[in-house]
Amino acid sequence: MEAFLLGLQLVFNVETMLVIFAAAIFGVFVGAVPGLTATMAVALLVPITFYMDPTPAIAAIVTTSAMAIFAGDIPATYLNIPGTPSSAAYVADSHLLAHKGRARETLGMNLICSVFGGLFGTLVLVFVSPSLAEVALQFSSFEYFWLALLGLSCSIFISIGSRVKAFLSLMIGLLLSTVGLDMMSGAPRFTFGIPDLMGGINFIPVMIGMFALNELMLFYGSRNEGRELPSLSKDSVFKQAPKHIKAYWPNMIRGSSIGTLIGALPGAGADIAAWISYAVGKGRSKQKQAYGTGHIEGIVDASSANNSGISGAWVPALVFGIPGDSITAIVIGVLYMKGMNPGPTIFMDGTGLIYALFIVFFLANLIMLPIGYAAIKSAKVFILTPRKILMPIILCFCIVGAFSINNSITDVWIMLLIGFIASILARCDFPMAPAILGLVLGTTLENSFMSSMLKSNGDLLSFFSRPISAGLGALVILLWLSPLITMAYKKFKHNSQHKAPRIS
Amino acid sequence: MRDLLLGLAFMLLGAVVLTVASQYPTMASLQYGPSLFPSLIGGGFLIGGLVLSATQLPTLKRQLSGTNANVGNFFDLRSVLVSLLPIALIIFYIFASEFLGAALCLAIIMFVLMLVRKTSLPLALLVSFVASLTIYFLFSRYLLIPLPEGLMNFWG
Repeated sequence: MEAFLLGLQLVFNVETMLVIFAAAIFGVFVGAVPGLTATMAVALLVPITFYMDPTPAIAAIVTTSAMAIFAGDIPATYLNIPGTPSSAAYVADSHLLAHKGRARETLGMNLICSVFGGLFGTLVLVFVSPSLAEVALQFSSFEYFWLALLGLSCSIFISIGSRVKAFLSLMIGLLLSTVGLDMMSGAPRFTFGIPDLMGGINFIPVMIGMFALNELMLFYGSRNEGRELPSLSKDSVFKQAPKHIKAYWPNMIRGSSIGTLIGALPGAGADIAAWISYAVGKGRSKQKQAYGTGHIEGIVDASSANNSGISGAWVPALVFGIPGDSITAIVIGVLYMKGMNPGPTIFMDGTGLIYALFIVFFLANLIMLPIGYAAIKSAKVFILTPRKILMPIILCFCIVGAFSINNSITDVWIMLLIGFIASILARCDFPMAPAILGLVLGTTLENSFMSSMLKSNGDLLSFFSRPISAGLGALVILLWLSPLITMAYKKFKHNSQHKAPRIS
Repeated sequence: MRDLLLGLAFMLLGAVVLTVASQYPTMASLQYGPSLFPSLIGGGFLIGGLVLSATQLPTLKRQLSGTNANVGNFFDLRSVLVSLLPIALIIFYIFASEFLGAALCLAIIMFVLMLVRKTSLPLALLVSFVASLTIYFLFSRYLLIPLPEGLMNFWG
């Protein structure tokens, strides 16, 4: 109890509250500007948090990341450019709804689902984290391999349009992930003698190139103003929310649960949580065909998952010191900088820090409601600004944003090349999201495969020797075979329908 | 037609990746070396490219016997050239920012892009000036990104 009171004291003071408020505004700004991601925002915060006490430092990171994940939905809805990769899974649905004059309604549901998902993930973090972390602790490279493969397979099977194109897009992402020094042998791969490429390709310039620069090139390539801007919708932010909540509350709970679980697994962050939740939601929905055509259900699924994934990622980070995603990887570095060792001992110290962190999580998600509402209301800034004014500003943000990752001009070149290739592929209806997922998960996939092979002396059957690994493997194989199974089922059904009249 | 060309391009990329990957060193202690994943990816490009091209062959046959509308749309020279303008301006930033400074380069980029889209001259000037300075000071002063100062350095 004393530790809890100390925790309250650490949070409810002027400095920490001001930091939370400022971080929320910063998070909205970063998330709403295409090309600036939550990870980048947190990375940029690190030098500033260096001068803060531990509680406001962590509060700044938690609030910024939660707000940025939500705010990423704003450009996704209005401009079809996901503000962060976590919004990529449902960008098509959001944008199509905006074209129907339902932008605010969509963002209102995004906000509610984000707050719900964030609070759900926080409750899990507070009450269930030890047992969840125990499960995650049992995972080895075998399980991570299958998990990465499951995420990659989902990106092909849930994509809209040609699966061959989605597969080729994924291959591009995987190829980019192999650039740099090989983990096992240290051999440089596809580095072309450029020192900046030795450490691999950072996914942020790639994302800026694929989603922002590509969009800019398509805009300037069009003869007129491009696609019609969604009209200034005067729909209410929350008016339709009770109806949607009533219809899709199971999706909110399922999405939040999936998000928390996926987020708690190292290597799988909010973006993968959103993809998997979207895929699961689509698979279980009565309106499968409506997904990807401007359907709110998919948004509920994925939007709940990405924010709960943020909270979930902190579980292994705090309990075992294993980052759940790239944001918590940075956080672990910050905690070490502050002289605090993340791990089981952090729960035992009597300074109240762990309680302060839990309270910060609740506050960060609750403050999202008023600030997110204000952000939706003021999102018209994005719309009122004509695209001929907005697009040049976005291009400048892209250049500076790509440069600021490593303060390296190589990242600007990477953004440029990827943007150029992406614009060609986008003209030919190639989906971009599988490429991003391939880049993010490629390293996990390869490293977990290589580690597993080292452990098992190259025995491929070892991927099925552990129960969880075998289960995940079976799930992946089932997913791959699903088109064949569906085809066989349809054929069987068709044949039986034709045979039936003869019998009668 | 364009899918057929892209399919062939992917097959070529796959062949290049496979060739490069085959040159990576092998280690006796490792069953699977650094070439494994690049080789699988190269193979993926080959197979995917082949499937993409093969599915376009019937369409190609139809197009060869009729009009070739798709090719015309894809290679609309004017739209292709204008779409390359952002790329050209980024290259301009890469080479000119060290001398001119990030703020001035960003202002020039915005100004040019706005004029291309027929924004009125005073508005283009005003927005370019204000937005470039805002972005510059936000990143260089607040986020401490060492953006090139260029000419601003001379002005102090």
